[in-house]
Order: sequence, then C-alpha cells, then structure tokens
Amino acid sequence: MSETEKVNIVPCSGIGKSFGSVSRLAAYYITEDDRPADTTLVPLALLVLGDKDTNNTVLSNPSITLDGCKLQCAKKMIGECGGQIAQDLVVLDVYRDHRDLKPAGIAVLNEAGEKLARALADVVDLIIDQTLGITREEKNA
Amino acid sequence: MPDLPPKKVGIITCSGEELPEGTVTRLAALRVLEQLRPGETVTICLPLFLAGGEGDRAFAKFYPTIAIDGCEKRCAYYGTVRYSNEPAASLIITDLVKKHGLEKPEGLRKLNEAGQQAVEMAANEMAAKVDSLLGKSWNRTKGEIDQSNNNEQPEETTPATCSCGSGIPITILTISDQEITVVGLPLIFETFQEKNKAPSVVILDEIMDMVKIYNRIEPDDEPALRVEIQKEYETYYQRINNE
Repeated sequence: MSETEKVNIVPCSGIGKSFGSVSRLAAYYITEDDRPADTTLVPLALLVLGDKDTNNTVLSNPSITLDGCKLQCAKKMIGECGGQIAQDLVVLDVYRDHRDLKPAGIAVLNEAGEKLARALADVVDLIIDQTLGITREEKNA
Repeated sequence: MPDLPPKKVGIITCSGEELPEGTVTRLAALRVLEQLRPGETVTICLPLFLAGGEGDRAFAKFYPTIAIDGCEKRCAYYGTVRYSNEPAASLIITDLVKKHGLEKPEGLRKLNEAGQQAVEMAANEMAAKVDSLLGKSWNRTKGEIDQSNNNEQPEETTPATCSCGSGIPITILTISDQEITVVGLPLIFETFQEKNKAPSVVILDEIMDMVKIYNRIEPDDEPALRVEIQKEYETYYQRINNE
C-alpha cells in the first residue's frame, strides 16, 4: 500500500443532463458497492459552502473527479480547494468507448445509462488501485 | 424590450450526494422542472457559481430563485447568497420531514417510502412557491421581489432545461479603475442594432433606459458609464455592419 489511504470520489452534482446522473450513479457503485473502504464520496455542495471537514478531506487525499459535462465543475472545485487530482474523468469520454450505451433520463436512468455508469465505475476502480498502489497479488489476497 | 430570457423561477438544489435528503432535493426539483412546472422553471448547478463565469453568478439576480436543501447546512441557500443573490424562497427537507411527521428518508440511490413521500411534498411545496413568485413582479434591477405589486403575468415559456453554460450575458466595464458589471448588454445592443438604430445621443438615452431596467446604476457612476456604453455600442454597431 502507498501512504495514501483513501481516494475521494467527486461526482458532478448536475440535475439537468443524463450524463450527470451517470456520474452520480457510478460514484455510488464505487463508494457503496465496489470500494467502500478505500473511498470517500465528496459532495460538491459542501465545497461550495466551504465546509471545513470536507475541505480537509479534499486536502488529505487524492481525488478522482467524475464530471457530467465539459464545464467540469468537479475538477474545477477540487482545484479551487487546492486538492490533488489523481484523475479527472468526463462521462462523455467513457461514452465514446461505449457508443451503444446512450444514456437517457435524469431522475431514472435507462438501462444503457446504468451500464455506462458501471463501465465508468470499472475504469475508476482501476485508477483507485493505481492511486493506492494496490497490486494484483494484494487484491487477490 | 430586448429578447432576454422570459420570466421563470430558478431552482437550485444542494444535490447532497452523501445524504438521502440530498436525493430528495434532486428528485423533487426534477419533478417540478419536468412535470409540475416545466415551462416556468429553470435550474443551474450550484458549483457553477464558483466554477462558472460571471453570467452564471448573475443567475439568482436575474431569476427569482428557490433554494432546496437536504439539511440544516443549507449549502444551496448560503452558496447562492454568497455567490449570486439571496434566493426568493427556500425549502429544507429535514424541516419538511419533521413538519409532516414522516419517517427519515433512506437510500441514496433508491429512496424508501418516506423519501418518496418527501419528494412529493417538497415538489408540491416548490410548485406553490413557483406560482407565488410568478404572481409577483421580480425586480431585475434590485434582484428582489418588487413590493409595488404590479400584476405582471408570466410569459409564454419553453420546456425547462439546465442552464449550465448558458448564463445571462454580462459585460465588465472599467470606470475610474473600478469594474462595473452590466447584465444583458449584448442583447440590448442587438435589439437596437436590429432596428438600425445608429449610435447617437437620442439612441444612447434609449439604451441607458434599457440598461437601467436590468442593472442598478449608482447616480455617481452614470455619466462615466454612459460614455463607456456609448463607446461599446459604437464598436458593436460598426462591427456588426461590417460583417
């Protein structure tokens, strides 16, 4: 293991586009199902408010930002707080590799949107391993 | 009048991904935006007040806004106050749950029954607030409800969408080393140019009248601002005609 103990997962907080919902669902897959012990879900609203605990979390551990659109609020907010970004991802980039998974719906994503979120989460899981310095052997053990 | 965005109510949610109440805010806002008042509401992402531009920060000044928060930290409300303008109304889900004696909402991805009830109640309360705000006159100069209570009716609208990246156009003019932000100036210029109103003293009077509808101009700043706006319009008019 590296000195980094946890990775922050920072999804887009948008409610106007399907891609924002995909980023949020992927963040839930990662922080609730895949890697709950290795990750912290960071809500952007608390960073906007300047919440001290959330700011400290961002300063203490590297962040992976999951943005729904090119405006990249999550990436910009982590930068604004002085946090380290391990990787910044935009859902559209993952969608380019999965053209068959066109997301639709915001409150309730369609099946393709859920699968796209799963694909994004898989990408992030690998980045978490790299960031935490987890080897395949450690993972299997 | 220039073709500025029609009168709508802005809805800003905390979105709080870490709390079930945050999920309630998102779903309630979407219910209003998509189903209950689709033509009369618009939204913007809260982080855009920091991550976006001046146009995004003008959002809550231009639109009377409802802030909907999941908890007492009130990120949406205070974030909007700090970076844009005081919301015209607000709603806190934990208060609403308490008021109606609901069980605590649970489930970040899929809300329990209590969470779904909270969504319905919050959405209905917001829709009522939208109606109330549209029945009142919003003063875009002051960024607050006009107490003079004229009976302006809501205009015809189009389906609500996310306002991310489509903020109100603003122009920053420098007067005596002081920066003054003017809301809607390009749209005002466009309106005059389309009517072939060439720059002149009379036209400048008309432009200034229009600028004052959307901006609070301090009397001391007006003479210098007038000179700057005249220069801006002359440049704009010439550029468009050359094109």
